[in-house]
Amino acid sequence: MTGNEVPTIAQFFDAWELFQYPAMSGAIAGALMGWLGVYVVLGRMVFLSAALSQAAGLGVALAFWLQIGWGMADSPLASPWVGATVLTVVATLLLLADRSPAGTRREAILGFAYLAGAAGTLAVGTRIAAEVHDIESLLFGSAVAVLPDDFRLLATVAAVILAIHAWGSRGMIQAAFSPDAARVRGLPVGALRVVLFGSVALAISVCTRVVGALPVFALSVLPAAAATRLAPSVRWSLWLAAGIGAFAGFAGYVAAFLWSLPVGASQTLVAAAITGVVFAAEVPIALRARWKRARPAA
Amino acid sequence: MAMKTGPEGQGALLRVEGLRVGYRGRALLPPMTFAIRPGDLWGLIGPNGSGKTTLLRTLLGLHPRLGGDMERGAGVRVAYVPQRGDLDAAIPGRVLDVVLEGVDRGWSFLDPLGTLRRRDEVHRALEDVGAAALAHQRFRELSEGQKQRVLVAGALVSRPDLLVLDEPTSAMDHAGEHAVFDLLETLRTSRRLAVLVVSHHTALLMEHVSHLAFVDRECGAAVAGPLEDVAATPCFRAHFTGRGFEHPDPAVAAQGGAA
Repeated sequence: MTGNEVPTIAQFFDAWELFQYPAMSGAIAGALMGWLGVYVVLGRMVFLSAALSQAAGLGVALAFWLQIGWGMADSPLASPWVGATVLTVVATLLLLADRSPAGTRREAILGFAYLAGAAGTLAVGTRIAAEVHDIESLLFGSAVAVLPDDFRLLATVAAVILAIHAWGSRGMIQAAFSPDAARVRGLPVGALRVVLFGSVALAISVCTRVVGALPVFALSVLPAAAATRLAPSVRWSLWLAAGIGAFAGFAGYVAAFLWSLPVGASQTLVAAAITGVVFAAEVPIALRARWKRARPAA
Repeated sequence: MAMKTGPEGQGALLRVEGLRVGYRGRALLPPMTFAIRPGDLWGLIGPNGSGKTTLLRTLLGLHPRLGGDMERGAGVRVAYVPQRGDLDAAIPGRVLDVVLEGVDRGWSFLDPLGTLRRRDEVHRALEDVGAAALAHQRFRELSEGQKQRVLVAGALVSRPDLLVLDEPTSAMDHAGEHAVFDLLETLRTSRRLAVLVVSHHTALLMEHVSHLAFVDRECGAAVAGPLEDVAATPCFRAHFTGRGFEHPDPAVAAQGGAA
């Protein structure tokens, strides 16, 4: 491949050994965030994943800072995984602790977590110049490589979370969208909501560390937004959103290879394109329905 | 939570004695005592802000009680149909999916084949409410009356002994309101269900219910019992005077029980 030659898909798969971890990480993160995104989108919590992914980003940046600035390179406490998880869990606990009427304080807490996370990450980035590329990768998902250990952790976390959610999806759906009726019938709504929020927090912290904050936000919103328009029920939406997310995560990485794009932006654009097509396809259907309603009865 | 079981509480599905409801230690209503039995059709009425919702949520176990006793009979199953306005129209679902949601109780959602085993029951519930033909339609595309029927079917599949409905006739025309109450009457007799309905439509409620719980914070009323007894209370009579309700007992009505 010369400098001006456009790479081909065949070349991508020829170098599969090199690209397998980041490409599969995109697909796995897409499937996981797509599934969980249905709860985020239908629960009107779109900003939740943005705020939690920024909090996770700050956790990773702080871990780097502890390693470099405070000589804690060998300490497990200064691991980026620990940093991301701790900050995401703290932000989630703040949200769960909100008892304001109709969750009115929740928006403010989400805004706080998003802004403190984003600004904090950029500020800490100036103190860890040697890792500034890592910080950019974290925020925009521009990483082209993923370490095998990181991939294995992501795959394990995704498998566990998806298995739990697939198994308990009937209870999870009722706890999320009909909590009062579910409580009256004796479903453990409190425990199910803790599992739901806990898995969203864990998924975001792990996915942010591997693929970056921007694609995590995109993959938790866009596939679910498309799937909930297409699928006949919430259960089908979950599977469809996971499929769209997996496709966007993988195809976005391939597109980044083919057209030399930043990976996170490419994954986001693929997910946005799918969602855009679904939204556009609804326009003629809605117009036809309106025309039918307006047409005087024969 | 042991309660004395007097004759009036025998065979009750839900029994409350001296029940106090409210928030942060402050009671909204005077203590209430009543029992709901199989086949009863109860109405819960009161003006806006009267404490109806707090009482309802307390009876359902969704809100802690301030005092008194509340006991469900052994193995009694309760199903709750919230207001249709509480449902999010953005949530996708066919009629069948909405009804299937009602199948689970406790931890049964962990049984992956649970809904498959109950398919027949789901179809029977849809038939019982006259909505079998709607099974594959999208829920959000139904009329208000059809939606209410489907929600009732969703509550029936969990095989309740007591069915609680919050404002089931809101946003309906006159015919739709009557159709809902006719359906509840039918279910009450065919399934020997006890039904508790919260409604603002007092006149309509009076035509159908056998028992009434009436709450009004302004005159400190919280009374519950057979329709005739509640309708004879001074606060009730004062509140509904001139609102089209005729007391079932002509003697009481002649004394001013007409409302």
